[in-house]
Amino acid sequence: MALFKLGGISNGVKEYFKIAFKSIATRKVRSWLTTIGIVIGVFLIVSLLSLSQGLKNAVLNQLSMIGKDLIMIMPGDISNITSLVTGDELSEEDLKIIKQTEGVAKVVSIDYTSIVMRYNNQKKTVLLYSADWKNALDVFENDVGWSLAEGRWPIARKNEIIVGSIVASELFPSIRIGTEAVIKGRKFTIVGILNSVGSKQDDSMAGIDDTIFSSVTGERTGAKQAMAKLKAGYSPDVVAEKIKSNLNENRKRQIGQKESDSSYTVLTSEKVMSIVSNILGVIQAVIIGFASIAIIVGGIGIMNTMYTSVTERIKEIGIMKAIGAKNRTITAIFLIESGIFGMLGGLGGTFLGIILAKGIEIYFQVHPLFYLEADVSPQLILFSLSFSFLVGCVSGYFPAKSASKLKPVDALRYE
Amino acid sequence: MESLIKLENVWKKYKLGKTEVPVLRGISLDIKPGSFATIMGPSGSGKSTLMYLLGLLDTPSEGKIYMQGQDVSGFSEDKLAQLRGEKIGFIFQQFNLLQNLTALENVILPMIFQGVPEAERREKAAKLLESVGLAKRINHKPTEMSGGEQQRIAIARSLVNNPEILIADEPTGNLDSTTGKMVMGILTKLHKEDKKTIVVVTHDPNIAHYTQNIIHIQDGQIVANHFKNEEVLWAENGKTN
Repeated sequence: MALFKLGGISNGVKEYFKIAFKSIATRKVRSWLTTIGIVIGVFLIVSLLSLSQGLKNAVLNQLSMIGKDLIMIMPGDISNITSLVTGDELSEEDLKIIKQTEGVAKVVSIDYTSIVMRYNNQKKTVLLYSADWKNALDVFENDVGWSLAEGRWPIARKNEIIVGSIVASELFPSIRIGTEAVIKGRKFTIVGILNSVGSKQDDSMAGIDDTIFSSVTGERTGAKQAMAKLKAGYSPDVVAEKIKSNLNENRKRQIGQKESDSSYTVLTSEKVMSIVSNILGVIQAVIIGFASIAIIVGGIGIMNTMYTSVTERIKEIGIMKAIGAKNRTITAIFLIESGIFGMLGGLGGTFLGIILAKGIEIYFQVHPLFYLEADVSPQLILFSLSFSFLVGCVSGYFPAKSASKLKPVDALRYE
Repeated sequence: MESLIKLENVWKKYKLGKTEVPVLRGISLDIKPGSFATIMGPSGSGKSTLMYLLGLLDTPSEGKIYMQGQDVSGFSEDKLAQLRGEKIGFIFQQFNLLQNLTALENVILPMIFQGVPEAERREKAAKLLESVGLAKRINHKPTEMSGGEQQRIAIARSLVNNPEILIADEPTGNLDSTTGKMVMGILTKLHKEDKKTIVVVTHDPNIAHYTQNIIHIQDGQIVANHFKNEEVLWAENGKTN
């Protein structure tokens, strides 16, 4: 800190802090108001950044459960929001093309729909998942991260069902292995309960065999999405490109050249991570930008207060100069004072920011929409404290300079 | 004997609009170590300006100021601050204590500016406050104290860096006569026992009685320089001793 490099004053720095604190304490209301300006900015930075970082961690964490040798295939272009809304599906043919692409070991189709499940005369909406227990269980276990809390996996082609952790704990707290639930008039035996996979959507699921899924839901064949598991030794990026071009070529053949823009989104799990991480990075940059503006506005408030303080304390400055204070000593005293405003604002903002972030975290623990842990890193705290202290010092610089330049005789005569 | 502070044909002019008003007009003055002098004059005579120059709180428009033989007229503000802190103690009519700080802290302050180690600071300040009879009040703030007490804090503060000279500007001006006498008693004692050089600026002839040397100033010039039991009248300025 430049403050302590003003040679010769280091001996008194502690005392100057004392003087500054006393002067702040004698002007309580003004000091509070000045500090609040900084508090708001730091509060925004700490709360929003820790939450967005927590969100990023949660999403990335969830994505990292998905194995690196998995490729996700979705109909439509991910950058085109309408295709997501219109609900395109992958056809059976699409799935076949994916499977035939070089390097693909296995294709797991993903299909799901919201549906009402009845259990003990209670009706709740769950997310019904179609799962190919026979062929794809290893993918669900190893790559998607499903694991059983109790019970066993369903047997293919049987009316058996597994339920997610939220279904078992919140929707139907009385649910037991071996009992029956009713979906669309068909009875299913509950054979397993899953551990939480960390997302509200996945934890609210009920999984049934894919052969039964379409007859229960009445949905056409095909799938909403698909995952392709790679053969060993193939690069995910290369295979992903190949899948994409094969799918597009087939689509073009079918519907002719004119709809050449029809596309698929084929993503490797690393690609997904980098997209998510980029998006959240941009959001965080925007947060830092706006909150920094708030802090700088707070800094202007400090500058205003410091100019007022200098004017009010002209006589005091004269006295200190008379009894031997050098210009740089006066500068230091006022800089420390404005630095303290910044620092206090930083501390207050950090404190409130952590409270809000942790409050939201607790809210999501009670109402688990998804798993969110506020990530209040020491770096974040250090950054906001030093940034606010710095803004305080910078804001105090010109008032402090104007104080130090007062001539002792003029300052002493000032009434 | 070498002089402690010497003024040589010092002028001080202030700008009032476009005209320059001379407040001091060619003052020459010699303060010897160990002397106890009074600068007297009616208000507007320039005695306060003279006090600020003697205290190195201001620089002359013309002429030279010597401190222990060294020409300090052209010194920077920081150098002057250093000299003030080291060699000059101030006692003001308004006491000029920092209201936020306790008596002890007020006395400690000049030592902080001089870089005195912390342990020493406290001990010395407490001792000085005790010597002016404020041992029990060291942790009180000036606002909780009487004028006499405040002036005694100021005296303790002025002595804390063991200065060569004490400059007192109307030290009794804001005090009742009993307290004023007590304060003058302390100054007299400092002069007699500790051989301190003291310059008192006042318009009060009663204060002048305490001192050996009375310098009369009028219209920015020294008009008389009395020494006790002898009176020397000066028809013109510019000639001292």
